[in-house]
Amino acid sequence: MFRMGKNDQAAIRAILSGDKEAYGALVVRHSQSLFRVAFRITGNEADAEDVVQEALLRGYQKLESFESRSNFGTWIYRIAVRCALDRIGGRKGDKGSRVAEETDPEQDEVQVAAQAAGPDRLLLSGEIAALQQAALGALTPTERTAFVLRHMEDRSSEEIAAALGIAPNAAKQAVFRAVQKLRLRLAPLRVRI
Amino acid sequence: MKHLKEEELVEHYYSQSQSQGPDEGEGVAADHLASCAACAADFAALCSDLGEFPAVEPPDRDASYGEQVWQSLRHALPVYEKPKRSWMGVGLWKGLSYAAACGLLVACAFVAGRQWERKQVQTASVKPPQQTQTAPAHPPQRVVVVVLSDHLERSERLLVQLKHADADSDEMISPLRDQARVLLAANRICRQDAHKVDDPALDPALVPTLDRLDHVLAQLANHPGHLSAAEITRLQDELNASGLLFEVRVLRTRIPEHRTAARPIGGTI
Repeated sequence: MFRMGKNDQAAIRAILSGDKEAYGALVVRHSQSLFRVAFRITGNEADAEDVVQEALLRGYQKLESFESRSNFGTWIYRIAVRCALDRIGGRKGDKGSRVAEETDPEQDEVQVAAQAAGPDRLLLSGEIAALQQAALGALTPTERTAFVLRHMEDRSSEEIAAALGIAPNAAKQAVFRAVQKLRLRLAPLRVRI
Repeated sequence: MKHLKEEELVEHYYSQSQSQGPDEGEGVAADHLASCAACAADFAALCSDLGEFPAVEPPDRDASYGEQVWQSLRHALPVYEKPKRSWMGVGLWKGLSYAAACGLLVACAFVAGRQWERKQVQTASVKPPQQTQTAPAHPPQRVVVVVLSDHLERSERLLVQLKHADADSDEMISPLRDQARVLLAANRICRQDAHKVDDPALDPALVPTLDRLDHVLAQLANHPGHLSAAEITRLQDELNASGLLFEVRVLRTRIPEHRTAARPIGGTI
């Protein structure tokens, strides 16, 4: 295993010189952060793990094009965001969640509270989180990713734009549309709370 | 008063949460919110909605997660080849090297050729003076041989005339005396040269023959008054006895054989 003391640049030079094992250090160092963002975007543990593996594989294959001036962590992070975006973009039923008897995020099914149900029931049952997740699922992949990066990952518009491969202003608009849709979708809940 | 749009409120909300703080535009938005109750209410509602939207916390991954990911990946990763020169690059360099070597070889051959040619020219320019020094050895030699041959031929003719001359005829003897005087001067020059030259290739009979010829010519040319019939007869007897005519003939016949081997004996002639 490549020693952890060496920085990312040294590991990349070693890899490009034929030392495949040096990539292990980079994988270990960045897997956690990649899994976190992948899970937040996909909302699914299995998908997140797949995204992490796919991102690291793509990163290895494109390592020759990596510019040593930039940061490997930022670079692989953007690749993971793209992979996650591709993953949720390819999902079926991403256009919205179905109303069901029970909330099931795996099936994109949401149990909507009955009009007669009190707000305390909603708060206590944890259905709000499920509704929020369902609302996120109703966003377009770009809006969802932009919102996750802005709201949860605390990334700037420029960083979101770079990760998504769009203009900064388009990134701002994507975040704004996501917030608008989420608020609109969760408005009934707010009234009842 | 112009109220803030929802988009501006959203931007203001996230700019507040960012570590670097709000920029100039957000400062304007903050001022407006401080002075506009309606916008402040909208912003409060926005903050409430977004504040209730917590960041999704991913399931915990233990410390070995990265190692697990690596183990699942490592067998699928190819090894990067060390950067090698492409065959085109290698071929190009090889070609250039060969071309340079060939060029150098041609240049060396050219320079060597020029040097050799120059040396040849110098040798040629030096040699002619040597030839001019040695060349005169042959032409004068040939000249001397011709002169000697001519002298011997004329001497032979004179001796033949003397041998068959009528001792009583003054008309025959008088021209012989004139010829003898001319030949006597030439014979002395030939004799002197023959004595000077110490050449083994020289006919050993030449010098004694020229000496005896000188004696006969001198008697014939320098006898005071008219030669008497008795003097003529005595000279004829002496000529026959000494065999001078025969020796002159032999020498004359040998001269062509010595043309190439002979040395100058009459360079001053």
